[in-house]
Amino acid sequence: MKRIECLRLLAPLVTDELVVTSLTGANWEWRYLTDHEGSMNVSSMGSGTAVGAGMALGLPRRRVIVLESDGSSLMDLSCLATLATYQPPNLKVFVFDNEMYSGSRISHRSPTGVRTSLEGIARGAGIEHAVTVRDVAAFEREARLALAEPGLRYVVVKVEEDPDARKLPKPTVDYLENKYRFVRYIERTEGQVIFPTLR
Amino acid sequence: MTPELAARVVGGLKAAGIDFVAYLPESRLIEMLPLLERDEAFTVVCASHEGTAVSIACGAALVGRRPMVYMEASGLFLSLYNVLSVGVRCGLPLLLVVSHTGSTGDRLNSATFAGYGARTTAVLDGIRIPYQVVDAGDRIEERIADVARAASAAKSPACLLLTGEFTATAEGQTA
Repeated sequence: MKRIECLRLLAPLVTDELVVTSLTGANWEWRYLTDHEGSMNVSSMGSGTAVGAGMALGLPRRRVIVLESDGSSLMDLSCLATLATYQPPNLKVFVFDNEMYSGSRISHRSPTGVRTSLEGIARGAGIEHAVTVRDVAAFEREARLALAEPGLRYVVVKVEEDPDARKLPKPTVDYLENKYRFVRYIERTEGQVIFPTLR
Repeated sequence: MTPELAARVVGGLKAAGIDFVAYLPESRLIEMLPLLERDEAFTVVCASHEGTAVSIACGAALVGRRPMVYMEASGLFLSLYNVLSVGVRCGLPLLLVVSHTGSTGDRLNSATFAGYGARTTAVLDGIRIPYQVVDAGDRIEERIADVARAASAAKSPACLLLTGEFTATAEGQTA
C-alpha cells in the first residue's frame, strides 16, 4: 500500500477538519492532493502530533487530523503519554509508517522496521484506540470512523516506501504564508480574531 | 514562590490574556499551578517533555488561544528545537515563563542548576528570543504584560525569566 493511495481516499472526506502535517512525504502529497485551507504544515520532525494536540485541546469543537511518519513519531514518544492523559476526543492521528528514514538522501531503516511497534507503544502509553492497518480497505474504514465518531484515535498505517513522493512538485507556500492562511481560515470559520489589524 | 506572589503572577497572566498553559512541574514557581488549574479561564496541559509542551502551546496559538509554557531553565534548553522549529519558524506568539534556575538570584541554587543559570540568557540572546529577567515581585503584573505584548508584537516566543524573590519559598528555604 502506498501512502498517497490513503491520502487520496482521505482528502475528499475532509470538510472543516484541521489537518497538521509534519516533516514527512505526506506533507508534499497532501498539498499536492488538496488545497484545503485548514491544513498546516509544521515540518518539524517530532512536533506534528503535539501541535495537533494543542489545536485539539485549544479548540475542542473542531476535529484535528495529524498526518505523521514513523521517524517523526519516534522523536517525541512522550507526547503519547500526554495524549493518553487528556484523551482529546477530537484528535485523530494517522502515522504513515514506511519503516524508513526516507527523507535522508540514502534511505535508512527505522526502528519500526526492526522490532518497534508504534501501536504497542501507544497502547502502553494508555491510548485505547491504537490500531495498525495494512491495506487500503482497512485504512478507509478507520478514516471514516475517525471522522464519524468522537474519541482519540491513533492509527498506524503500514505503507511501502514510495520514492515518487519526491518527484511531486514542491510547495510554493512557506511556513509564514501557510500560518496566515490557516489562521485566517480559523478566524473566518470560528468568527474570531486571532491576529488583529496592525496599528 | 510564596502563595501571595503566586496569586499575583496568575492574576497578571490572566490580565495579559493568557488562557492556555502547557507545562512541566518544577520546584521554584510550582505554587502557581494549583491556582491555574482551579481557574476555568485557563486550559492547563501537563506534558512529559518541555519540547512537547512548546509544540502543544504552538498548536493552541494557531487556533486562537493565548498560550504560555511554564518550565524551568533546564527544560528551556531541552525545548529549544521546538521553540525554533515551530514557534520561530511559523512566527507564533508564545509566552515562556521560566524559573531562572541556577542564576545568581536563584535562592535554591546548587551545583545541579548553576551550569544552566550561567548560560540561559546567553542562549536566548544567541537565538534572538526577547526576554526579561525579573527578580522582585513589585510590578510583576506589568512585567508579564510587557513580555506577553512583546510576543504578540513580534509574533515570536518571548521569555520571562523569574529569579530572586520568585525562587524563595514561604518557609524561607534556601539551598
